[in-house]
Amino acid sequence: MLDTVQQPTTSSHESVVPSWTGVVRHLHLTPRAFLPMRSMPEIVLIAGKGIEGDRYMIGREQGFYSHKPEEGRQVTLFEDETLVALKRDHNIDLGPEEHRRNVTVAGVPLTHLVGRRFWLGETLLEATRLSIPCRHIEEITGKAIFDPLINRSGLNCRILQGGIVRVGDAVRNDA
Amino acid sequence: MSAAPITTVKTVVETIEDSGAGVKLFSLVDPDHWELPPFRPGAHIDLHLPGGLVRTYSLCNDPADDCRYLVAVKREGCGRGGSVKLHDEIRVGDSIGVSLPRGGLDLPDDIERFIFVAGGIGVTPFLSAAAFLKRTGRADFALHVLSRGEPPLRRLLAPLAASGHLVLHDTAARARPELAKIIGRQQCHIGLGCCGPESMIDDFEHAAGDWPAGRIHIERFVPPPLPVDPNAKPYTLVLARSRLETRVAPGQTMLSAIQSLNVDIPASCCGGICGSCKVNWLEGAPVHRDRVLSPAERARSLMVCVAGSADDRLVLDL
Ligand code: FES
Repeated sequence: MLDTVQQPTTSSHESVVPSWTGVVRHLHLTPRAFLPMRSMPEIVLIAGKGIEGDRYMIGREQGFYSHKPEEGRQVTLFEDETLVALKRDHNIDLGPEEHRRNVTVAGVPLTHLVGRRFWLGETLLEATRLSIPCRHIEEITGKAIFDPLINRSGLNCRILQGGIVRVGDAVRNDA
Repeated sequence: MSAAPITTVKTVVETIEDSGAGVKLFSLVDPDHWELPPFRPGAHIDLHLPGGLVRTYSLCNDPADDCRYLVAVKREGCGRGGSVKLHDEIRVGDSIGVSLPRGGLDLPDDIERFIFVAGGIGVTPFLSAAAFLKRTGRADFALHVLSRGEPPLRRLLAPLAASGHLVLHDTAARARPELAKIIGRQQCHIGLGCCGPESMIDDFEHAAGDWPAGRIHIERFVPPPLPVDPNAKPYTLVLARSRLETRVAPGQTMLSAIQSLNVDIPASCCGGICGSCKVNWLEGAPVHRDRVLSPAERARSLMVCVAGSADDRLVLDL
């Protein structure tokens, strides 16, 4: 006979969010639409605005989607695990500079974070919505990645507390 | 906030160099000297010129030279106006929007030797390819340039002359060389490339008639005329994302049908060779008449400037 599996004693939403601690693997930005993303050792996040020098910084508006301004798109994150899965499941090599999000993190369940606050290094972010893939990225990379990126195309965030984010910084839940 | 979507790569003219034989060489860079979108050897870009003109030019620099796009433009007084505008109106410091680079030469590793044949300004894609091949240690290639008198772009050709890769054929001083002799007999480790005026390309295609298509790269200056199809039938064109549809009359291009719906679509050559009007199709049976898409690409995309429909209904992802 099988052992009885211990069920959680509470059914509240909080209890099913896994506990996690992640790390910043890569940082990228670009000043204008279409230009390659450049790898950075650190980036500066400005509360309520965006990343210094990035195309989507509020007030700069040089991004492909800047004609559709979005206050909650100040910094974007992407899971390193998705790059691994693209290779494993679709044999697609996608580099961290190619997904066009700013911060590539490992060990962070981005899809769980919508509406929540979390720490990216010394900065505090609020996740506003999941990113959706766009055909534009296929045009730029020349790779058929639109379909495989559906539902795992990253996270859009608002910056509540700015600061410097460096590669290797920890990513933590806001307790 | 920008009022309209950004649809082109923003560049500024860094230098303009007089390059002989009525040719000017334009170096385009990002305003902050950021890297530009990458390109394959000999790829081309559309320049969006003042007054709404869009013109396509081959890149002549090495893809590793990633902070600029180098385009050589011959002034064609009787052309469609793009080269005259570039020669007479564009100045250093001017902004020019450009498309993402497209196309370029396939230089697969299993080809050991390349023979490139260029007519005059048609040398541009091969300058890029030559720089790439030299840098990557694949130095077995010959670039034949046919020109009446002095060839254009002497400065860019000089290193290739010094390294023994360049063969100049002055067709003002001597009869045009036989292309069959330049090409030689077909061998599977040799790749061919040709870019020049239509008559030269016809001769080249004739001379290379028994070479497999995958070993030949041809670039045209002007699109070949579209054959008129006496059996053309009207069809319904559906733009899925715009939720629009229209009837395309026999002889009407898909491009003009789309434009009549006020849907903006980039187009440059209007003859199926530049690739700027590529659109994905979703349903139907397109008749492709372009010169750029591979069979695999045609399974998904078409060029609206030349494509038609074999069925009564064609649905585009537009
Ligand atoms: S406009 Fe050049 S291929 Fe259609």
